[in-house]
Amino acid sequence: MAKEVFMPKLSSTMEVGTLLQWFKAEGDPVEVGEPLFEIMTDKINIEVESYEEGVLLKRYYDVDEEIPVNAVIGYVGEENEEVPEEPPAADGEADDGAISQAEGGRKYTPSDVPTAVAPGTDGTPAAAVSGAEKAPADADGKVRATPAARRVAREQNVELGSVKGSGPKGRVHEQDVKDALDSTKATPLAGKIAGDQDVDLSQVEGSGPHGKVRKADVMQHTAASAQVQLSEDTERIKLKGLRKAVADKMVQSTSTIPHVTLTSEVDMTHVIDVRKSLLPIIEKQTGYRLSYTEILMKATSQVLEAHPRVNASLIDHEIVLNKSVNIGLAVDVEDGLIVPSVKEVNHKGLAELTEVSKTVGKKARDNQLTPAEMTGSTFSISNLGMYAVDGFTPIINPPETAILGVGRIVEKPVVVDGEVEVRPMMVLSLSFDHRAIDGAPAAAFLTDLKERLENPYGLLI
Amino acid sequence: MREITYMEAVREAMSQEMRKNEDVFILGEDIGVYGGAFGVTRGMIEEFGPERVRNTPISESGIAGASVGSALTGMRPIVELQFSDFITIAMDQMANQAAKIRYMYGGKGKVPMVLRTPSGSGTGAAAQHSQSLEAWVTHVPGLKVVQPSTGYDAKGLLKAAIDDDNPVIFYEHKTLYKTKSDVPEEPYSIPLGKADVKREGTDVTIVATAVMVQRALDAAAELENEGISAEVIDPRTLVPLDEETIVNSVAKTGRAVVVHEAVKRGGYGSEIASMIAESDAFDFLDAPIKRLGGAPSPVPYNPELEKAHVPQVPVIIQAAKETLIKA
Amino acid sequence: MELTKDVKLVPDVSQEKLVDLYKQMWTIRFFDEKVDEFFAKGMIHGTTHLAVGQEASAAGACALLNIEDKITSTHRGHGHCIAKGATADKMMAELFGRTTGYCKGKGGSMHIADIDIGNLGANGIVAGGIPLAVGSALTAHMKKQSYVTVCFFGDGATNEGSFHEAVNLASIWKLPVIFVCENNQYGMSGSVKEMVNVEHIAERADAYGIPGEVADGNDIVDMMNKTHDAIERARSGEGPTLIEAKTYRWKGHSKSDAKKYRTREEEQEWKAKDPIKRFKNVLVEAGILTEEKAEEIRKDAKQEIENAVEFAENSPMPTEDDLLTDVYA
Repeated sequence: MAKEVFMPKLSSTMEVGTLLQWFKAEGDPVEVGEPLFEIMTDKINIEVESYEEGVLLKRYYDVDEEIPVNAVIGYVGEENEEVPEEPPAADGEADDGAISQAEGGRKYTPSDVPTAVAPGTDGTPAAAVSGAEKAPADADGKVRATPAARRVAREQNVELGSVKGSGPKGRVHEQDVKDALDSTKATPLAGKIAGDQDVDLSQVEGSGPHGKVRKADVMQHTAASAQVQLSEDTERIKLKGLRKAVADKMVQSTSTIPHVTLTSEVDMTHVIDVRKSLLPIIEKQTGYRLSYTEILMKATSQVLEAHPRVNASLIDHEIVLNKSVNIGLAVDVEDGLIVPSVKEVNHKGLAELTEVSKTVGKKARDNQLTPAEMTGSTFSISNLGMYAVDGFTPIINPPETAILGVGRIVEKPVVVDGEVEVRPMMVLSLSFDHRAIDGAPAAAFLTDLKERLENPYGLLI
Repeated sequence: MREITYMEAVREAMSQEMRKNEDVFILGEDIGVYGGAFGVTRGMIEEFGPERVRNTPISESGIAGASVGSALTGMRPIVELQFSDFITIAMDQMANQAAKIRYMYGGKGKVPMVLRTPSGSGTGAAAQHSQSLEAWVTHVPGLKVVQPSTGYDAKGLLKAAIDDDNPVIFYEHKTLYKTKSDVPEEPYSIPLGKADVKREGTDVTIVATAVMVQRALDAAAELENEGISAEVIDPRTLVPLDEETIVNSVAKTGRAVVVHEAVKRGGYGSEIASMIAESDAFDFLDAPIKRLGGAPSPVPYNPELEKAHVPQVPVIIQAAKETLIKA
Repeated sequence: MELTKDVKLVPDVSQEKLVDLYKQMWTIRFFDEKVDEFFAKGMIHGTTHLAVGQEASAAGACALLNIEDKITSTHRGHGHCIAKGATADKMMAELFGRTTGYCKGKGGSMHIADIDIGNLGANGIVAGGIPLAVGSALTAHMKKQSYVTVCFFGDGATNEGSFHEAVNLASIWKLPVIFVCENNQYGMSGSVKEMVNVEHIAERADAYGIPGEVADGNDIVDMMNKTHDAIERARSGEGPTLIEAKTYRWKGHSKSDAKKYRTREEEQEWKAKDPIKRFKNVLVEAGILTEEKAEEIRKDAKQEIENAVEFAENSPMPTEDDLLTDVYA
């Protein structure tokens, strides 16, 4: 039996969606999880995946048409199956324009949206293609459901009326609620893969908004469990405390920020000279030894002043250009990573920077940082130069929009003025948030930084 | 272990108790040299003599009442009623006397008696000799009601019934008398009020009594071929009822089919189904509880009609599937 | 034992015992009259059946019993209880529904029992106690115990199947039971003349091959004589006897009975045969009792009932916690 394709309700405020494009023509085969069409809502553009497999039998609307939520916009079914010529009326087309939903005939208000099943307010596709019947409701709005289904719905905060019942007269059974939970908990594709691989979706941690499970999560879960099965004598360390915080932050960063990493090799000959000259002076003055990190911080801060887009934060869909240059310094501590922030780097001399960065580094390792010292950075530097590492792909420390990865200084043959010379070379890896910064400006920043380091005497000014 | 018939198990339970306890005796119609209508007491009068294997006139009310009186004054009688249909005639004594005496007397006196009687259809005995009226007696507080489905259970439950200080109605089943099972020779007791999980399963609970237990097991075996795992519970005693075992099972499976031979309307299955609905298992029910029972007609004589009157294996399979929406 | 010229007592009974029986008859009467009064006043609920006028059959049939002997009684059973040794205070407490009653307030008027003294209980089912009595006699027989069981029932009960089944059982097994049919002329409103087509219910004994005796139910001496013989037969293993005690219930069937089915003249005729007065006359004539002593005893009995009322009224009520106790042993 053909299944209706609905205009999904992607947020509590969404009333209509604009069809941007169809990915399938009538007659095209459709797989579960395949993008079927794209819509634009008041908030976002989104591709809507199919919940059903079969053939796209009917498309009722064309591109650019506005379609009320829950309206039937097409059918997926078996080839040659008959479907109506005209789209059937949906509750979404109620003439009072209210956001009336099929859900048990109840008015759909934001507070009704249970977190676990709510279509993501940020526009995650919800049950775009649902079965022909949802839980049938009596005139008084009662849903036909078994006690067990009601219990699970209650426990999981599921709106029973939104669940398609598989029983007689559309009675909702326990499994129906669980299926609904899984389908809203996971993207259709993730759901399909989970189904194919017999993965219990409730065991998979979702990396999407509201913990939505995506394909990658399922893959990772199966890979992880396969690994665990391979080695019986593994030691298990629970993800908690700082480790958990780091893990969460990394997931958040990589899952929300489109990272691009640029690398560039820098000739460090002159930086080495500068450090050699300044080291005894600064050591005498502060008691701390000047390291390349401080020189890199200083150089970076100066270049950042000329590239404010790289010294920006992305907050709530806004790019905030920071006046101060506060550099976060990735510090390796026991079982974790802390990024204390050194404020106003562009206004500090190398001696002061040396003292400050050595101090915060120690405080970080001693777990004595103040909240102010841990926040407010506008750009971060991660220095792995003490290891045999050249380039890498550093992960941005949000809401910052870029991070500089620093590799080791290693002597290499390079061509200088047509001659092969041995020079101390160092790779810089700049990861940037492509939402805030495009490739060219990022490249320009990195180029300027390389030049500044190869001619570092400006640092002394 | 030794295999004997259900009937032999019943006889053995009585004989062992009678050898042990002088107060235990049996009375009933044609239980002497005839051996009882179904032969259960065969050989007993030879061992125990006519005083303790007391052949009675055809006076169900009289012998039931005399049993109550003798129990009240220190004996532990076992009454055999030839057919459970005749409990109608003994009912005044069981319902109005035996069941109530202790309560009416404010906790004084006790009536340790067992009324054994075969019930059920399947022998062509027609309407007045085939009924399953156990629900009637379950309704009367003060009586206990036992319904064994195997020889093993029959022996252990009958000992428990004889040892019990209350009037116990002990339903045997005519068509089970010849069935064989492993039954230990030594005396043993199965506590009244303890159900038996005859088969474990995960998808649907079938609560079956007496002759329906085997049918439920047959149904479960076929369901297994179709990937459905049925749990079969034999309550064994209707009063007291082991609610816990049933409730736990239904909470696990989420589905219940209750099947007995007695007429469905007003049958004990209604009690079991209601009990489930009122219990903690309610929240785990994932389908309406199914009741299967005899048709609302007297038991017919014609063998095909007689068969049609009571639930058969395919009907149990169908009901189980319906709870799984797989029918 | 020759009491008077016309009255001969067969069993050997002491004078004290006879005086006690006289008092017991008054106790029975005053108990039932008091109950009648309380019902009229609405002080006790439910229903009750009074045996005023039938004191001689209860007292006479039980006069020769030991504490090991048993009785089964009927819905009209207060007299049997007292005759078998029950105390009026615990009986009254039972009618008041108190925890000190014989049945902790759970039985009421129709179910008073005291198994310890051989009272196997009154019975709300007509003829219901007859098979029980036979069972009790069966126990005596099987355990080779010497006790007998006196089984009280009314004329109406002899039309129940249980009566016939039980008497037959007792007969074929020669059980030590004495069937005492108190023929008080009416089964509720049904006159025995309309309901039974034999002159004497005792004749029904013939059908079961046991002796049937007609006794003057208003004459305690005759009752004692007839039960004496029956008890002898029972104890010696000769089986049961059916005694028909012809008597009359002065009151209606139960508390709301306009007695339209009988005449006031008939009632007066029977009241003239008051069993208590008759026994007193015998005792006075025999020199066992003086009028003064008799009056003193009457007053004592009356006081005993007053004491019983006080006991009952001051006794505690059961609580809901008692509702579900005693259902099973």
